[in-house]
Amino acid sequence: MQTVLSIGVDALAYGMALFVISIGLSVTMGLMRVVNLAHGAFAMIGGYFASYAVRDLGLGYAAGILVAVVGTVVIAIPIERLLYRRIYGAPQLTQVLMTIGITFCVIGITNFAFGPTLKTVPLPPLLQGSVDLGFRSIAAHRIFVIICGFTVAAGLWFLVERTNFGVKVRATVDNAAMTAALGVRTEVVYAVSFAVAIALAAFGGVIGAELLPLEPYYALRYMVTFLVVVSVGGAGSIPGALIACLLLGTIDTTGRYLAPEYGEFFFYLAVILIVTLFPRGLAGRMK
Amino acid sequence: MVASLDRTIATPSFTRRMADRGVIGVLAILVAGLAGYLLMPNNLALLTQMIAVAMLVLSIDLVTGYCGVATLGHAALFGAGAYGAGIAAVHFGITDPVAMTAVGLLAGAAAGLVSGFVILRAHGLAQLVLSIAVIHLFHEAANKASGWTGGSDGLSAITPDAFFGAFEFDLWGVTAYAYGVILLAVVFLALQILVRSPFGMLARGVRQDQIRIAAMGASSHSVLLRMYVISGAVAGVGGALSAISTQVVGLDSLSFTLSAEALVMLVLGGTGSLYGAMIGTVVFMLFEDTLSAANPFHWLTIVGALLIAVVLFAPKGLYGSAAAFAGRVRRRPA
Amino acid sequence: MKKLLAAAIAFAALSGAAYADTIKVGVIGPFSGPFALQGKNFKAGIDAWLALNGNKVGSDEIQIVYRDVPQADPARSKALAQELVVREGVQYLAGFYFTPDAMAATALLQQANVPMVVMNAATSAIVASSPLVVRTSFTTWQTTTPIATVAKEQGVTKAITLVSDYGPGIDAENAFKTAFEKEGGKVVETIRMPLSTNDFAPLMQRVKDSGAQGLFTFLPSGPPTLAFVKAYNDNGLKAGGIKFYGTGDLTQESDLPALGEAALGLQTTYHYAVSHDSPENKTFVAAAEKAIGNPAELSFPSVSAFDGMYVICKMIEATGGKQDAKKAVDAVKGLSWTSPRGPVSIDPDSRHITENIYLREVAKDASGKYYNKEVRTFEKQGDPGLAFVKK
Repeated sequence: MQTVLSIGVDALAYGMALFVISIGLSVTMGLMRVVNLAHGAFAMIGGYFASYAVRDLGLGYAAGILVAVVGTVVIAIPIERLLYRRIYGAPQLTQVLMTIGITFCVIGITNFAFGPTLKTVPLPPLLQGSVDLGFRSIAAHRIFVIICGFTVAAGLWFLVERTNFGVKVRATVDNAAMTAALGVRTEVVYAVSFAVAIALAAFGGVIGAELLPLEPYYALRYMVTFLVVVSVGGAGSIPGALIACLLLGTIDTTGRYLAPEYGEFFFYLAVILIVTLFPRGLAGRMK
Repeated sequence: MVASLDRTIATPSFTRRMADRGVIGVLAILVAGLAGYLLMPNNLALLTQMIAVAMLVLSIDLVTGYCGVATLGHAALFGAGAYGAGIAAVHFGITDPVAMTAVGLLAGAAAGLVSGFVILRAHGLAQLVLSIAVIHLFHEAANKASGWTGGSDGLSAITPDAFFGAFEFDLWGVTAYAYGVILLAVVFLALQILVRSPFGMLARGVRQDQIRIAAMGASSHSVLLRMYVISGAVAGVGGALSAISTQVVGLDSLSFTLSAEALVMLVLGGTGSLYGAMIGTVVFMLFEDTLSAANPFHWLTIVGALLIAVVLFAPKGLYGSAAAFAGRVRRRPA
Repeated sequence: MKKLLAAAIAFAALSGAAYADTIKVGVIGPFSGPFALQGKNFKAGIDAWLALNGNKVGSDEIQIVYRDVPQADPARSKALAQELVVREGVQYLAGFYFTPDAMAATALLQQANVPMVVMNAATSAIVASSPLVVRTSFTTWQTTTPIATVAKEQGVTKAITLVSDYGPGIDAENAFKTAFEKEGGKVVETIRMPLSTNDFAPLMQRVKDSGAQGLFTFLPSGPPTLAFVKAYNDNGLKAGGIKFYGTGDLTQESDLPALGEAALGLQTTYHYAVSHDSPENKTFVAAAEKAIGNPAELSFPSVSAFDGMYVICKMIEATGGKQDAKKAVDAVKGLSWTSPRGPVSIDPDSRHITENIYLREVAKDASGKYYNKEVRTFEKQGDPGLAFVKK
């Protein structure tokens, strides 16, 4: 029983970390229909900003997150104008080519400018060390990630389902031409959605840095994980992504506990099974 | 597109034109092969590797370009061919290069059947993820079966026999290169016939409109699966060539990285055309090799920039955009 | 045609020797991609050597030609080695971070008449695959075996191993198990985890449940080590008194700033610590830090590259700049010298380096910098893994 509980806690923590890091990609892929393989690159840029702000400038952790989010969005705006705008609505393979190109560039530049060593974002004292849950201990930071995950999920859900902007977003996704004809400036909707997705990527990069350490190759290393999470959940669905993360977190964690040698097999067989049963994701809206 | 196909079939000289086109392509390959030999006589290993990868890219083109299947896991087929040929040589003493190629072809086709079975169960993004899962399972299986595959240390000590007892696979790699060029020409000819056959037409039809194909009474799933097996055979031949020429097979030949890189080469050249696949491979690998030799530390940035530039200025791929441009120029006077 | 080519190459080689001008050394390593840091260290070690000793041996000038293999990719490694030999006309091949890359290129050596100096790849079998291979790095067996002794002496009788599921990880598991059982200890469980693992919490739970007193682990140096060490601390293993043993791959110097506090006190065995206290090492570190630019990036592959250059220069000296691979390799068999890492020698039978293995503890110096503090020396260690190489 204690073991089951313990695995449950690990699964929740891991799943929520996945959620925070991947949700931005779900937004770009589901709402904007761009296969954005450069998602990891933006997450990494966020992480580097935070690392620089907190470690080298000595700012606080919260300020570091703010710097990361703002800084990454500022970098992303010209990229969106010059590059992404050309691939909205383009065939998926073209999008893949473009975003892989962007990723290569980001890796190369990061390697050149900051060197290949690991970067960390120092945690505030409150989040360091571990917390005793009675039956086991867990890193304080993991609890923070879980809270962040639920907050992000709730916030996004509110934004998309309950606000005026959310209505425009959903309309644009369903039929951009018709929405534009009704007087909604869809390019503004796209730009704002993109900014939100990038901000989430950067946020995830910082928050998840304890689990997925920051280095130049970050941008490609975890791309597969992000893609899997998003498609299992169904691109563009926030509850779907949440369920997918918790499910995949549980499968992965359980597999790793019971039979670590076959962990990979477990995970990918489960992915095949889920995707075959729910080809549009657990709660997908993208056709 | 269907209309244009009809017109092609209606032309009386169809057979001749098909033969012509195939022959021109084969001649082009042989000339390019000779040119490669004369221009880069000291770098035949790279050229041979390029041919092997070109077959992988051609094989992706068959399912992606012609049938519209999205895959980031095609190296599974290439790797199966490479390991098939390698294992045949190391564990079963089959060291005749042609026999090794045949084993690679069969292994590739078998892998094509298995992965096609899985990947064809979904579409779009879900399909992409299935293909990723497949390549990881293949990779992990090869890592586990280290008794057969050498695991992460690689399968080494593959020693193919000399061709006709005279042409050895040696340091200078002339034999391997010549064999590669011939294999590529044969594969190209076979594919050229395939994609223009009624079956090839059906495959294109599946890409464009599955429902209509179903209404015509054909099973799109079976078409796709058959195409996957053929594609596996092509990739398998490429893998076998790689195993024969480098005499070693590593886990990288079953990796996601190779799959993604090959897909990038295809899109770079232009999907849906055998020439596009080959041009994409040659341009990408030559570019990568030159850059990484010139600056081994920072070449990745420039490759990235190239990919972005291609999307911006040649969105149909190098060959596709060039063909479209040529078409426009030709049409203008008329 | 081939004969013509061969003749041309032979001619090129002859004329090269006649003028005695430039001797090319081809270095293959990961200079971009996820292992770029290690490739950078190869270059730093080589540059440090050239800076300290000049680029001339006698009247011959050494020229280094770098080629990039970002991840283990034997086909590419072999193609590049071939290109280096045939087109660039290199007389020596060196570098090789990954085992399969080295293995792929060994097949060429005889025919190319080129010796290979392995500067990292750590599987025992490489030196057995060709008589023209010399290795100046270490093997996983070599660095792992002493830690089993340490564990036993610190009172651990029941240990658990947790390694990455690939060649070197399995080597480490076997080496630890063999050595630990020889000492009379018991390995209660051996766990292999996929290389791609990034969340180690469930594994730590496994370790806890196993009832072992000590944990031996092997992970390739790189990002996952950070998450691993944190998981060891955060899941209460450290507090629970389960002792940590590993090889130096886990605590390489360039990762230490990131590991920080979490790594403090970790015990590892390895062949080199940047902090090694000797005049040779001080000179080396000063030169290598300058070569690499950022001192925080300096790590273990640099020293093997530095010593590799020493060996290559000895080979050039012995052959007078002429291309004669066998003579070159014979000349360095039994060679012994004082490396920055301590006294070393090339074992004449295996052509692998015999060196001291050090037990180190991660400590913090006066300026707050973390470093591997050497606390004990296992002198003149050979490679125990050779005995297990299939002939």
